[in-house]
Amino acid sequence: MRHFSQIYALLRRKNRKQYALLAGCCSISVLLVTAYVSMMRAPTILSVLPEGGDSRKQVMMVFVLALIGCAVFTTYASGLFFRQKSRETGIFLALGASRAQVRSELFRELAVISIVSCAVGALLGTPLAWVLWQVFRAFVVDTDEMALTFNPQAYLLALMFSFFVIGMMFFLGNRSVKRTNILDIVQESHKSEPIRDVPRWYGVVGIALLILGGLLGYSVPNFCILVLHWYAPEGLTAVFYLPALAGLYMILLHTIVNGWGGRRRKYKDLISTSMMKFQGRQTVRNMLVMTLLIAGAYFASFYSPMLGTGAMLRYDARPIDYAYHFRNDQDIPQEDDVRALAEAHGVAITSYAQAPMLRLAIDGTASVEEDGPLGTTWHTEYQEVLSSSLFLSASGYEALTGETITLAPNEVKGIIDAENGNGYIFDEHVGVVTNYLTGKRLEVDAGEPLYTQDILFGLYVMNDDDFTVMSEGLPDEWLETQVCFNVEHCESSYDFAKALFYEIVDRSGPEVEAFDSWDPVIRDFQIEQNGFYVFDREHCADYGFTPIDYAQRDSSAFRMYWQYMPQFRVLDKADFIKTTAVFLVLFIFIAVICFAAVIVIAYTRSMTIALTNQQVYDDLRHLGAPNAYLYGSVRSQVKRVFFTPALVGTLLIYAFYCMIMYFNGDPPGITISEAAGLAASFMIIVCISAFLYIVYRLTLSQVCKQLAVRRPNV
Amino acid sequence: MLTVENLRKSYQVGKTSYEVLKGVSLNVKKGEFVAVMGPSGSGKTTLLNCISCYISADSGSIRLGGTELAQLGEDALAEVRNKKLGFVFQDFLLLDGLTVRQNILLPSIIGGVMTDLVESRADQLCDVFGISAIRDKYPAEISGGEKQRTAVARALINHPLLILADEPTGNLDSKSTRAVIASFQQAQTALEATIFMVTHDSFAASFCDRVVIIRDGVVWRALEKGTEEREKFQDHLLDATREMGRESPFS
Repeated sequence: MRHFSQIYALLRRKNRKQYALLAGCCSISVLLVTAYVSMMRAPTILSVLPEGGDSRKQVMMVFVLALIGCAVFTTYASGLFFRQKSRETGIFLALGASRAQVRSELFRELAVISIVSCAVGALLGTPLAWVLWQVFRAFVVDTDEMALTFNPQAYLLALMFSFFVIGMMFFLGNRSVKRTNILDIVQESHKSEPIRDVPRWYGVVGIALLILGGLLGYSVPNFCILVLHWYAPEGLTAVFYLPALAGLYMILLHTIVNGWGGRRRKYKDLISTSMMKFQGRQTVRNMLVMTLLIAGAYFASFYSPMLGTGAMLRYDARPIDYAYHFRNDQDIPQEDDVRALAEAHGVAITSYAQAPMLRLAIDGTASVEEDGPLGTTWHTEYQEVLSSSLFLSASGYEALTGETITLAPNEVKGIIDAENGNGYIFDEHVGVVTNYLTGKRLEVDAGEPLYTQDILFGLYVMNDDDFTVMSEGLPDEWLETQVCFNVEHCESSYDFAKALFYEIVDRSGPEVEAFDSWDPVIRDFQIEQNGFYVFDREHCADYGFTPIDYAQRDSSAFRMYWQYMPQFRVLDKADFIKTTAVFLVLFIFIAVICFAAVIVIAYTRSMTIALTNQQVYDDLRHLGAPNAYLYGSVRSQVKRVFFTPALVGTLLIYAFYCMIMYFNGDPPGITISEAAGLAASFMIIVCISAFLYIVYRLTLSQVCKQLAVRRPNV
Repeated sequence: MLTVENLRKSYQVGKTSYEVLKGVSLNVKKGEFVAVMGPSGSGKTTLLNCISCYISADSGSIRLGGTELAQLGEDALAEVRNKKLGFVFQDFLLLDGLTVRQNILLPSIIGGVMTDLVESRADQLCDVFGISAIRDKYPAEISGGEKQRTAVARALINHPLLILADEPTGNLDSKSTRAVIASFQQAQTALEATIFMVTHDSFAASFCDRVVIIRDGVVWRALEKGTEEREKFQDHLLDATREMGRESPFS
């Protein structure tokens, strides 16, 4: 051994665990980012996340969080590596090595570690995404739209992240060598950051600010829109979440410095609290990042169960097994065809009903947007002919539902959902109904709404005579038919349901290949105003809506947004996972990234505690502290690093979700399907918490090993 | 060999400046074994750190073998630390990943002067300090005394002009303390080393040729051992310490 580089090689071999941890963290972060970006930029995914749509925004938002998480955990892992390495760097400098000499050796090591680990992560990222996707396809669901293709542009972002990782490692490495005072470097692992005294009221005020920030952040945008008629910029309304962030910081600070045990525990926790206190700001910042990541991970994890459980309950609650409607100018299967198809599939139809519907124009208030110096404001304008809607006659309603209703002349009742009310998208208070083609006008009184479960939501019912009068002069494309029927053993009629669905799609013409918001009345108005209509096929994609395409009849976009999509209970239930599979996988992916980041940060922080306090534990041992006491003190600190962010982050996001669910409906409240979704989310919390607990136990044993503290026998 | 003249150093804590060295002057001759004693906060470790080139002084001069250290740049100071100085620390500062022999060789490897001759000198030093049997062991496998003797051997590997020792017996029991002091004496007699040691321990200091006592950042008194018995010299050191205590403004 004659060269300095050989010394480095020897030390590398001896400290291979530290090197492996650093390389592993770099690889994992680049791997996760590459896999995620590969998936996010894949044309397959982009087709179900339309440009400018809420889903893509959500995916982007949580991805940014995950990206920050990956960047943070790689930075912490590097910080821990250089902290562990600082002692040998200090000894080299103390014994006369020049900084240039140390830097050159360190940079050579870093170049190999960073480039190789980033390359491994980047190279395995796309295969990982592909394998996960295929596993999902093999065991959960497989549809034509799920054939995954990748966009090479994804590698650009992965490459940029790799550059960040490499650059950050060199920056931190250079900084660790650059420290001017050798004595500081030699003693670095015993350095701590002071923290100012924190009053005990920080805890309570922190909680209050957290709740206030959550409520303000959620309600201010609605207040701006509904009360001030102003679409405030998102950056401005986001400011109202800041009290929540400040509150979170205060809660964590209080937890670290004072603890929640009250004054009687002051002396019991003296050692562990004092040690945590002097790790200072870094610990609190770590915890803040972990809390936000945990919240982000759960946000992603809850998406599928919230969506799935609610949908399943809604499907079950439908009073009718099969329902569909069609325009009368279309050659859609009717009773005889349906019965023949059912017979061919061995399905017995137990009841069958159909009723005619009219498409009539209705009045209402339109919101007119204006751009001004403060952004976009809006005001309402009453329009006698605002949009169109489908109308049933009272007898038609009775035929479909079996429910007898009596409507006076000029009385119209809207049908709203028993669980979600009007869902803010349907105005049951109609005043004037117009035959759009003949101009025949009917002033109506809106009666008490009718309630339904999922089916028939958004239709109006009118008196039979009015129905006849208003239908005069309407051609087939303004007339529709609603079909409802039940079958024996609905659960086993999937093949029939699918065949009928395909038949309906195959026999539908291009004129009804329309997005569900497509409205002929609004279309005329928009073309007159702007020269084009947003929901026409050729403009859909420009405004973030996926154009409806019969060739993609099994795609999630088609199933969710086709205006004439049948509601077949067995088909909807069985294909639910298929139609939402892309979201499901994507959000699972995000959750995995965020939790991986949390685990690495918690582990590195706990190991830092071990490194920083090694001397203190030796001193305590010399003072006669028994092993059980030392173990209790170590456990108390590691527990705080793990449990505080986990508890706060979990409660935070669960409360936030409950709040969203509560205010989502009209009137506010938690519906049965929302409660079921929240219960399913709670189960996820239980499972992930159990997993985090296992990681906590493993980390605790590693920290104890570092400090030579044994776990006492119980 | 070493001349320190009117050395001043202050530390800034917040907005307050604390002057730790207030004009220290002293000389160390070639082959001399000198100790610096003084109460906590007297400035003895700061003096050692200035001589070690770990921190720079505010003013004054440090000349080592005719070279003025204050005028040297960072790379030249690193070379001084490597070639002209040897270090023994209270916490030993051995690298856990290297064996005893590899730790001893470290300054020569850093200095890029590794030859067969250096390797045989390392073996010779192991013999001199009685650590040949453990030369392939790692620091975690040896006692505190053996670690410090390894550190002394490491300090001598490059034939330094001066060995600087910071509380070298501070972490050792009495048996190991004797062994380490014996190794310093061997270095002085057999290898003609010059040793400058900072210590609290009057027992360790009583083996030195001269003891410089520092108080409040200045040299308070220097005691020569001369031909005196070690025990007697230790008594003188204790008397001087007591006298210094009586003169303290707090007594």
